[in-house]
Amino acid sequence: MMDISALLDEIKAAPFREIVIATPHCGRVSFADLKPGDSVVGPQGQWKEKPGSHIATLEREHNPKPICALEKGEISLLHTELEGRFVEAGTPLAVLRHKLTREEVQRLILQKALHLFCAPERAKYYFIPEVDKKIRAADAHSVTVRDGMELLIMSRMKREVPLHYTGPDGVIYEIYFKINDNVNAGDPLIGVCPRDQLPVIQDVIMRVQTEWAEQG
Amino acid sequence: MVSRFSAQMCAPARVPTYVSMFGPAIIAFARRPHKGREMQGPWPCREIPLSKDDKQNRAQVELPLDEHRILVANRGEIAMRIMRACRKLGVAFTAVYTAEDAASGHVRFARDNGDGKGLFRVSSYHDANELMAVADIAGCTAVHPGYGFFAEDFRFARRVAKRDRKMIFIGPSWKIIRELGDKINTKRLARSLGVPTVPGSDRPIYDEMEAERIAKSVFEFQEQQGIQRPLVLVKASAGGGGMGIEEVYDPDQFRSVYRRIRSYAMRQFKDEGVLIEQRITDFNHLEVQVVSDRSGRNPVHFGTRNCSIQSTGLQKRIEIAPGFAPETLQYTFNAERVLTDIVDYSLAMARKVGYDNVGTWEWIVTRKGEPFLMEVNTRIQVENGVSACISRVHGKEGVDLIAEQIRIGLGQPLGYTQADIATEGVGIEYRLIAEDPDNNFTPWVGRIERFEWQDAPWLTLLTHVPCDGPYEIPTEFDPNLALAIIWGKDLDEARERGLAFLNSLRLEGRNNAGEPLKSNVGFLRANTGHILHF
Repeated sequence: MMDISALLDEIKAAPFREIVIATPHCGRVSFADLKPGDSVVGPQGQWKEKPGSHIATLEREHNPKPICALEKGEISLLHTELEGRFVEAGTPLAVLRHKLTREEVQRLILQKALHLFCAPERAKYYFIPEVDKKIRAADAHSVTVRDGMELLIMSRMKREVPLHYTGPDGVIYEIYFKINDNVNAGDPLIGVCPRDQLPVIQDVIMRVQTEWAEQG
Repeated sequence: MVSRFSAQMCAPARVPTYVSMFGPAIIAFARRPHKGREMQGPWPCREIPLSKDDKQNRAQVELPLDEHRILVANRGEIAMRIMRACRKLGVAFTAVYTAEDAASGHVRFARDNGDGKGLFRVSSYHDANELMAVADIAGCTAVHPGYGFFAEDFRFARRVAKRDRKMIFIGPSWKIIRELGDKINTKRLARSLGVPTVPGSDRPIYDEMEAERIAKSVFEFQEQQGIQRPLVLVKASAGGGGMGIEEVYDPDQFRSVYRRIRSYAMRQFKDEGVLIEQRITDFNHLEVQVVSDRSGRNPVHFGTRNCSIQSTGLQKRIEIAPGFAPETLQYTFNAERVLTDIVDYSLAMARKVGYDNVGTWEWIVTRKGEPFLMEVNTRIQVENGVSACISRVHGKEGVDLIAEQIRIGLGQPLGYTQADIATEGVGIEYRLIAEDPDNNFTPWVGRIERFEWQDAPWLTLLTHVPCDGPYEIPTEFDPNLALAIIWGKDLDEARERGLAFLNSLRLEGRNNAGEPLKSNVGFLRANTGHILHF
């Protein structure tokens, strides 16, 4: 059994994550009225329909694109030297110091508690249609996986091959990949929890919920 | 190298300049509207009142080569060939790359050989906005699409030519790409000129009686040809990528297949139109390389290629120039005559449409020696180098069709005629690919650790794979690793040298599971023996 208290203490000692905000494409940058030390928020609203704090605007082919914060945090670095300049895709604009939320801590700890089934190759991954249907209809917890079952489709270079699950039988507790995104070899695809360990996992979640204080 | 867009630049007398939003003086460029056949003599020829646009167009055409800058809107091997051609011509270039391609040889080449505006990172090669934004900031006057991506996208070509800051699209004019990009349209055009096409309909058929009539005639035609097992292909006109295609081998079955495809087409594409064609199974795939300057009136050809050796997915693996070797090999038909015919037909079509850049006419040749036009590729092709290596202009070697494409694309006259072009020897191009021919040519992904070969004066090896360190094959793109172009004075020598090259090749690597690299070298070696045999 893992030591949740020790893990939590470890995370509490360094409860921040640095988020680099980079340009999604080329364009001319103009920064919003921000300075290092300012607080920003991520998307707001019941459905996260309100974008986060405005960081900068990227203009390309006469189209302005607002670059907004995706998480709450404090601006620790702002590349204001780029103001008014044309930048390449992937150029860092700002660094955000983001305090881990309860959900993120939960995910971190779960990654240690669950059996992780990892990507064998850098590729795009999809669930096979039957599984995909189940997940859409209910949620991932409704899918039981067995060692050797066909679970995913691995897609690269326009070719698709089936991928069989290996590991303990259980339910899919977490999904770590996004459809259409490339997953690097070795990165986790899903986290599986054997049925008899479900109460243990639920206990882990309870502990995080009560012990991780989230400030306003 | 002096920046071509510095403010001190001496602009030719009639070149209008303006201070762009990007700071330094940039010349406004435009492309000459395609009016090939209306013009007399070399451009410009008549004094006619010029609109503002025309003045820009004229300015662009009159720019000397070394005042141009080309956006290389592609990656890998072809991007490197375009950059080399630019250097040869004294044209500046700007290359692009994505994060996945950071280790590609084309990035290093651009960094080592380009100027301060030689390389930009973009989010995607497929994003036209990225390409246009980079072209503007770098001050590009022209865009070379390479092959794939935007090469045959007439909308992209039109945008390049018609946007506010106009540029030259290094390829045929967008109207020609649109006209020949449509296979049915191409077939109709071919038939109007008496160019043979695959027997069958040249427009979508909506009427069952007419469909049956066409199917009957296609069956009869094949019987006359002595084809043992005639086949008719029924396909949804609006479909593509192999969707909605069925073969019919029994004339009595035709009606039910026709109805099935028709209702499938209606459901899937909201269009009942169906095409009916002969299904040809026993054929060689030949190509004619056409080159024509912007006048569109004097197209020349750089011979034929045979691209019949393909993977199971019908992807070319070995290309040979010329298309047949009648002086060495026995054919059941007059091969020399076939080659002459397809060249003549291709040029007739090029003349008809006023074709104004490089292009490839693709043919299938049946065992009886009948050629049928399949399609026209309105771009430079991967295999252009194999034609160039056997071509001589004014008796000289070293023909570079990509450089020719850029030169004439920028408005220079071709400068020679068909009489000045000759061919010598036989060329073979191998496409080296990390794939498993024993397993349906599945791409192999992993890290290349060793890539070496024996250099020779008769060998040109084109690759974006760095040879001085390991290279992780990106999974985002086609798995091509290298092209090897081999020249020999005749078929025997070319084959011998081809095998010598393949035997000297060291291509090693491992994937994440520790398994060794799989490549198609064995497939290429096994097929070298019977190249150009029908």
